[in-house]
Amino acid sequence: MNPTDSKPLEIHDLTVAYHRKPVLYGIDLEIAEGTLTGIIGPNGAGKSTLIKAIMGMIPSNGGWIKIFGKPAKKSFARVGYVPQRESVDWDFPVSVLDVVLMGRYGHVGWLRRVGKKDRSIACECLEKVNMLPFADRQIGKLSGGQQQRVFLARALAQESDLYLMDEPLAGVDAVTEKTIIELLRDLKNQGKTLLVVHHDLSTAKEYFDQLILLNMRLVAVGEVEKTFTRDLLQKTYGGRLTIFTEVAGQSAGVKEYDKETDSS
Amino acid sequence: MKGPFRFQWSQPRPALAWRVGLAWIILFLCALPLQGEQISSQGDSILERSHRFLTLSDESVRMVLLGTILMGLSCGVMGGLVVTRRLSLFGDTLSHAVLPGVAVGFLWSQSKDSWAILVGATVAGFLGVALISLLRKTSRIRQDSALGLVLSGFYALGICMLTRIQKMEFGNQSGIDKYLFGQVVGLSSSDLWTMAFSCLLILTLTILLYKELLVAGFDSEYARSIGRPVDFLQYLLWLLLAFAVITSLQVVGVVLVSALLVIPAATASLITDKMRAILIWSAMLGCMAGATGAFLSFLGNQLPTGPIIVLVSAVFFLWALFFHPQNGLFFKWLAARNRNQRISLENTLKAVYQELESINFQKETTSVSQLAKRRRIGMPQAHRETDALVARQYATIHPVEDKLAAPPRPTLLSLTPKGWGTACRIVRNHRLWELYLTNEARYAPDHVHDDAEKIEHVLGEETVRRIERILSNPKKDPHGKLIPSQQDIDRGFIA
Amino acid sequence: MSANRQTKEPFIPDFDPIDTFVTPWSTHADIAWNGQIVTMGILVSLACGLVGSFIVVRKLALMGDAISHGILPGLALAFIIMQSWALFPMFFGACVAGLSCSFCIEWLQKKSILKPDAALGVTFTTFFAFGVLLIAMYGGNAHIDAECLLYGEIGLIPLAENLSLAGIDLGARPIVSMFVVTILVIISVTVFYRQLLVSSFDFTLAKTLGLPVTLIHYGLMLLLALTIVSSFEAVGVILVISMLIFPSVTAVFFFSRMPAILFCSLPLSFVYSFGGFFLARWLDCSIAGAMVLVASVCFALGWAFGPNGGLAWQLLDRLNDKPGNKNARSEGCAVEGQ
Repeated sequence: MNPTDSKPLEIHDLTVAYHRKPVLYGIDLEIAEGTLTGIIGPNGAGKSTLIKAIMGMIPSNGGWIKIFGKPAKKSFARVGYVPQRESVDWDFPVSVLDVVLMGRYGHVGWLRRVGKKDRSIACECLEKVNMLPFADRQIGKLSGGQQQRVFLARALAQESDLYLMDEPLAGVDAVTEKTIIELLRDLKNQGKTLLVVHHDLSTAKEYFDQLILLNMRLVAVGEVEKTFTRDLLQKTYGGRLTIFTEVAGQSAGVKEYDKETDSS
Repeated sequence: MKGPFRFQWSQPRPALAWRVGLAWIILFLCALPLQGEQISSQGDSILERSHRFLTLSDESVRMVLLGTILMGLSCGVMGGLVVTRRLSLFGDTLSHAVLPGVAVGFLWSQSKDSWAILVGATVAGFLGVALISLLRKTSRIRQDSALGLVLSGFYALGICMLTRIQKMEFGNQSGIDKYLFGQVVGLSSSDLWTMAFSCLLILTLTILLYKELLVAGFDSEYARSIGRPVDFLQYLLWLLLAFAVITSLQVVGVVLVSALLVIPAATASLITDKMRAILIWSAMLGCMAGATGAFLSFLGNQLPTGPIIVLVSAVFFLWALFFHPQNGLFFKWLAARNRNQRISLENTLKAVYQELESINFQKETTSVSQLAKRRRIGMPQAHRETDALVARQYATIHPVEDKLAAPPRPTLLSLTPKGWGTACRIVRNHRLWELYLTNEARYAPDHVHDDAEKIEHVLGEETVRRIERILSNPKKDPHGKLIPSQQDIDRGFIA
Repeated sequence: MSANRQTKEPFIPDFDPIDTFVTPWSTHADIAWNGQIVTMGILVSLACGLVGSFIVVRKLALMGDAISHGILPGLALAFIIMQSWALFPMFFGACVAGLSCSFCIEWLQKKSILKPDAALGVTFTTFFAFGVLLIAMYGGNAHIDAECLLYGEIGLIPLAENLSLAGIDLGARPIVSMFVVTILVIISVTVFYRQLLVSSFDFTLAKTLGLPVTLIHYGLMLLLALTIVSSFEAVGVILVISMLIFPSVTAVFFFSRMPAILFCSLPLSFVYSFGGFFLARWLDCSIAGAMVLVASVCFALGWAFGPNGGLAWQLLDRLNDKPGNKNARSEGCAVEGQ
């Protein structure tokens, strides 16, 4: 753990707009060290945008962001990013080990080559995600879940203090999901801070300690018990999504109120 | 690396040497007919000319060889970087787009000064690339249209300028032809210096920035997140590409440069799927094509070097496409054909077994006409299948009269022990699989036959043991037919 | 055209309006000569523009480039075998070469692990190299001017022999063949308009509607090959691609519906041809190159000022949407409160 006064992540009044459409307004956020926080919200709510804005990949139209007290562009070394798998060229001639080694580039620097120590760290990380036997395989020749585990290993190899993950559990099989969640919990116990965009409401309460409910603006932030309530979820997902309301209600362990007899 | 063959192609180097040797021999033989037309002028025979070339006695030979090798290296390495990023056609566009730059360089220096042309062409190339990105960002024009626009627009500008220059005092025919088609003969030492400079720059930057280029090409978002400037690397790539293009202009000409960027790299991508290996193979193939092309065009008199180099690299490409041990189309076709033959034989054997079974194994022979009926094929086909069985020693034929068959062909056949073993195995596989599907996977008994027809040919012995264990060594299949056991196979008959 | 290579000429010659615009049309002979040139230019632009509109929409622009390079060996072989520029062997050879190039590309894309763009790049460059080699080896003593192949010499079209049918003198061979091809293109595009449209925009829908999509594709390829073959004498193998692409991408900045875009090929073809002719007359350079330059200028104008997505209008839109302006939309906000 790094002894530092500044929090891993502080955001003040962040506003982001794509062309003319605002996507995030007035976001205020503080994340404490050693927490596992999930971000949930409907599609188009700006969850990925928030992560990208924190990484400095999208310009903001207002407000500021500080990572460990410094702006994003100065904090590369301490932040590990696991993006959605969109910008990847699966046919690129890199093996699984090559991909994990990319996580060490931040430590190796520009003109040097990757060394033995980096290689052994990479192999350890592959071992943690149970992908070491596949080290020599070209990255495109794996299943979706296996690919996601490799990307996680890459993030681990970075040895960052703050991890930002964009839907790491989307489209993966059950075994992979379990492996990933265990790893995330491990990281948290080591004192790392994790901020994870999550796609599945039904497991959000189980996986995370803290939740951020986002729908273009911050609906709620805090402990899972306090934020995962029917009211707040309804506010986040909008009254029009009644299925979500039901699921949210059931997940929150609250009985369905009968509208006619509800007197509160 | 396992294939259907007994050779083990272990490392690249022995395979490389083998291929190089063979390719040279073939190309040399192809070059012979070229001699008929061209031999008259110099009065040398092929051997004398080869000797002159290989001993590097002519200075022009040395210059040309050096030029083509430098070009092969530059284009090979850049090609590898470009093809793996799916930018093959950018190389083509760039090679056309540099033409106005060449013209400007020409104008500016009032002569064929290589450095001025290098600068001019680089600037033109950059403008072209910048224009493509601008078009993509600000309009709905698609990438391929944008490439076509810039390619032809810049090229037209270049042509206009060059045809204009032709009419001016210092312009002359050869200066322009040189850039359109390449003219190795006119290579000066200053040209070679610019080529060497470009080549060195490309190699150095590629080696130093290898991992940055790797991560930026594979996952640009991630690359940004770890602080690698993806856009800068992209521009660097364009710059190096422009250098490679300009280096090659004089050897192969504007139009064929893109061939040398794409073909060796494409060949490399057929051979391996690791980036480092692709770059190395691509560079080597480029050099070999360059040197071989230079040699061949030297043998034939006044043959343009450019197209020959391109065709040589195309030969390498076709070789890798068809004859690569793992992915070669020829081997895949051969494997498929062998597999189909095997399946056909096994189906015939199965039919023979079923015939014998239908008479309760009372006799050991069955007739070809019965086989034809069971297989529902015509007699000629049945005879072909029987002959195939005999050829593989799965069965023997007994000459006997049979009123149904066309005389005088023999028509009774019986299985050899080898044939019997295979027939039993296939039938066993089929029936075991049907039983497995009905019992374990709860298929209806009438749904299992088609599946078993396919699976029976690919079930391995170990899987068969496992299924037998799961089903507790069954004796009958879902339709009540007997499943042959290992003892039946060994005995040679069903008890 | 001035062929005076001895006087010291500046790079950009002086612009003399009379010499550029009026002199070409002063005598009968001149009108006949230059008229043929301009007519050829119009026909080429029109045919290429029509076929090209569909090619662009189907993202086959670079396939068009590939075919235009791929016809070279066919042309060379036809010439070598027949020892002259006879019409039918040339057409036949070029079409066969062009279509086999396209076929090889698609075969490679399907059967090998090569990416589509690499397959394209490998095939057409090999075909082209083969063509260049054939010309260098066997065409040297017959009048193939390699540069003519590369960028055409439309100025020499009137020199070509005249075709005659049933005793009627139809005019220079290239113009006649181009005319026939243009008519063919116009008819095909009109008659098969709906099929081409649907299969271009929504391949799956076309299949479910029972359209013979493969046939349409190869029909279009054939039309493309014919157009390229008949145009190459005017603009050369490499600049054909510009005649194919420029008209429709320029038109897109003004119209968004296909019939209008197709129709634009007609006025644009006049602009390209006349503009190119006068530009080349002034600069004394290759006419085909000049035509493409004019096309580029038209494109640049469309890109900058066209009402349908032109830069000027985009800028205007952005200025109208400064922060604090009511135009800013905000969709998808959650329902406030309960």
